[in-house]
Amino acid sequence: MKNMNVEDVFSSRLRMKILRILVQVGELNGSEIARRLNVNYITTSKHLKALEDESVLVHKVFGRIRLYRLNERSPKAKAVQALIETWEHANKQ
Amino acid sequence: MSTHRSVFRDETKLDINYVPYKLPHREAELRLLMEFFSFALQSPEKMAQRVMITGDVGTGKTALSQRFGANITSEANKHGISLRYVHVNCRECHGSLFLILQHVVSIFHPNFPKRGYSAEEILTSFMQILDEQNSHVILALDEFESLIDREGSEAVYKLTRLQEARQNKPQRLSLICVVRNLKSIDQLDTSTRSTLQSNIINLEKYSKQQLADVLNDRVSLAFKPLTVPEGTLNLIAEIAISESGNARFGIELLWRAGKYADAEDLDTVPPECVRKAVSSIIPAMRKSDLAPFSLHEKLFLLGIARTLKKNEKAYVTFTEAERSYAVVCEEFETTPKSHTQLWKYLRSLSALGIVRSESGTGASRGRSTGICLPRIPADELEKELKTLLEKQET
Repeated sequence: MKNMNVEDVFSSRLRMKILRILVQVGELNGSEIARRLNVNYITTSKHLKALEDESVLVHKVFGRIRLYRLNERSPKAKAVQALIETWEHANKQ
Repeated sequence: MSTHRSVFRDETKLDINYVPYKLPHREAELRLLMEFFSFALQSPEKMAQRVMITGDVGTGKTALSQRFGANITSEANKHGISLRYVHVNCRECHGSLFLILQHVVSIFHPNFPKRGYSAEEILTSFMQILDEQNSHVILALDEFESLIDREGSEAVYKLTRLQEARQNKPQRLSLICVVRNLKSIDQLDTSTRSTLQSNIINLEKYSKQQLADVLNDRVSLAFKPLTVPEGTLNLIAEIAISESGNARFGIELLWRAGKYADAEDLDTVPPECVRKAVSSIIPAMRKSDLAPFSLHEKLFLLGIARTLKKNEKAYVTFTEAERSYAVVCEEFETTPKSHTQLWKYLRSLSALGIVRSESGTGASRGRSTGICLPRIPADELEKELKTLLEKQET
């Protein structure tokens, strides 16, 4: 499987929104992420899978529920988190 | 610059959610709870416990459970055991097992979805979380009767027999069911009831002295030294006893009385502040309640009100009330009734709850009868009676 380039991740508005939501709230299930993005579940799942393939996200299964969160072991996830937090913090100042 | 004085040192110690370190007159029950759960500090995976705490409103059930929860989790931490105490009020969850479990799981996963699955699924997820984290939970279900009323035996059965479907897996969940009356579990089926009835801790109503001790404890935490006189404390205990010995009510009254004292910029909390506080909580006496009394009943009551107002005490003795009544009779140009007649007035006023009388109340030494106004500020009562008496004269 070929890794995505950084511009491929960052060029998607929805993927960036997913990452921003997860940085803010910690973890969330797919349906709730879709609701917050205001897009359908299938589209959301596609982006979640792409981010998981990139090891930026991981999920935990509870029966029919999947809770997604940033992969705390991934340097990419850490970099994304630092970027979003710095950006949000600067916007508030 | 305004310098706001306050009788309070830390009023948060009177908050309904504050759990005191010391629980006066509940030490034995706390020790018993610790005994029931002593396994949780050695081998929590081998056992689960179910305990019921029963008792009337304001007998300290919630405080006992929460203090125990704080103590045992802190002990477990010292032993390197991951034990959580989770307190849920079933009524606040509308008696729904789903909402109760949703609340519990949200402690571990705050964004766990709020819908789209059943109570069984969330219970399974909860066990999975505990297995993954190698954690144990003591779940306290406060106002347990709400759960029984709404969900019946099925829900309680699911919680109590959880381990049967988890053979060879470690035990994870113990229960404390907090209920006012044991009768509420009568509606459960026999097998469910039998899982709950083995360990019962019943909290007896506080006596007046015990209530005074509970209040005294809170006074030392919440108020500055020497701001709450003994008479004030006894009056609050007296009123709380009349409200079914409800300690929570007494603590709230204590807070309110302190607030009235602060509002009037006083250095201490006199009994009159307690009476004002009571009339703000319990609907105060209506004017129409006083109108039907005879002239001399009103005069006697006026005498009591004036004496209480003047000496800023919680109680007046019968002798003081009689003397004051004689002065009032002079003022209204009427001959005082006999000592025996005044006793009859006192009995009827007590029966109506307008005054409360008790022998040996600390109003003075010996067995003299103390009279207090439990529900209306003396000042307010005096004004009301004067208006009625002046009308009666014209």
